[in-house]
Amino acid sequence: MVRAALANRRPIGQGPVTGAQYVPAVTVLFACLLTALPIVSTSGWYPDFGFLVLIAWRLLRADAWPAWWAAPLGLFNDLVTGHPVGLSIAVWTATMLLLDLTDRRTMWRGYWLEWALAAVLLLANESAEWRVAQVMGASLPYLTVVPPLLISILSFPIVAWFISRIDRWRLGR
Amino acid sequence: MAPPGGSRPGWSRRAQYGLFFSFIAAVAGLVIGLVLLALSLVAPKSYASVRGVALDGTAPVTSSLRAVTATIGGVFTGAGNYWDAAHQNAQLKRERELMLQRIIEAKAISQENGELKAALQLREHSRSPIATGRIVGSSFSSPRRYAIFSAGTADGVRVGMPVRTAKGLIGRVIDSGAISSRVLLISDRASIIPAKILRGGQPVISQGRGDGTIDLRPLEVGHNPFKRGDIVITSGTGGLYPPLVPIARVVRLDDDGAIARPLADPGSSSFALVEHPYEPAAVAEEAGGVADTQ
Repeated sequence: MVRAALANRRPIGQGPVTGAQYVPAVTVLFACLLTALPIVSTSGWYPDFGFLVLIAWRLLRADAWPAWWAAPLGLFNDLVTGHPVGLSIAVWTATMLLLDLTDRRTMWRGYWLEWALAAVLLLANESAEWRVAQVMGASLPYLTVVPPLLISILSFPIVAWFISRIDRWRLGR
Repeated sequence: MAPPGGSRPGWSRRAQYGLFFSFIAAVAGLVIGLVLLALSLVAPKSYASVRGVALDGTAPVTSSLRAVTATIGGVFTGAGNYWDAAHQNAQLKRERELMLQRIIEAKAISQENGELKAALQLREHSRSPIATGRIVGSSFSSPRRYAIFSAGTADGVRVGMPVRTAKGLIGRVIDSGAISSRVLLISDRASIIPAKILRGGQPVISQGRGDGTIDLRPLEVGHNPFKRGDIVITSGTGGLYPPLVPIARVVRLDDDGAIARPLADPGSSSFALVEHPYEPAAVAEEAGGVADTQ
């Protein structure tokens, strides 16, 4: 910190970009819109990009957005991706509340702990999707959640790195 | 470890209340989400219009980008075709000879069939497609298998209509916007299709497995009627899917059935057709019960 302050690389007068506080939410919306890419997948093993970006932001900083913003963001994700309306609203808001509680319990934060938290949340998200699909008449064996889960857990560090770059850009650092 | 007392943003009452109300709003959001989810599980039709609008919002992007990915994909498969071309050529010539014989046989059979039907005075509905479109996108991060189809209610597409390509069955329409619609693919777990084996005409049930393949089960339990390479076609039972549309080819046998791969690959098929339900009356009768599972 001291070293960074002494480095004097930063030009004076450079601050956060305009609308910096809305940048996180907008990146989540864009991540949801990735499903509009013309990829026809027969296996469904792509990660849930909206959710990945959401937890990457929330794990990076607690004040990315007020917790309740997760509900409208989830509604958008439901409508765009074709999930039953309400699934992402419930899962995403529950994630926000859960991470608020976790923030009070954890003594420190580090790379591995964040990845572990992300893995648990991704597992919960995949399980919720699986359960809802089962209720809607598509009952698959539970093991089918494993390949997409592994892929999303492995892609979390990439998304988290990308989000940290965006965070530095939006704050003008 | 016991958590430290609640997170205080400082002495500012305004900041404290802000944090508290944000928490209340998040809990309310969670409750609303659960209620909406319950509603969409119990009555899936309730959000049809909203979902249709959202579909129309994203479909133009998907459709316009589709041409780009198709070109890129075409370059790679095109290059692959040159590999081992001489061998492929010889094989194709052999297959063509066989096909020509088969076509002549089939023509004779269909002529005979026409005469027999005329003699019996069977009536059949003429099957003209309602709309033609492209499969432009798909759900790619859920256990469900949906595809986005580039024609909607403006073209006459309605929920429940079967979608097919020249190669085989794709699925049925479950959401429709004005210019695009969402198709439940035959590889989705919830799509159950009455079918029969082309070889012996034995009735089977086809159900998706969610990962691009299909589970086939014979209706009569006992012995396994499948062989590798068997082709399964729709039987027309139930009145939704027209009969004699190819569905899938068996790739592997398991203890009481088989696993098959769809013949029409939604990823590479260029055009798809939407047709009327085969027996609209039968489908309408069932609609009340079917709606719950869609």
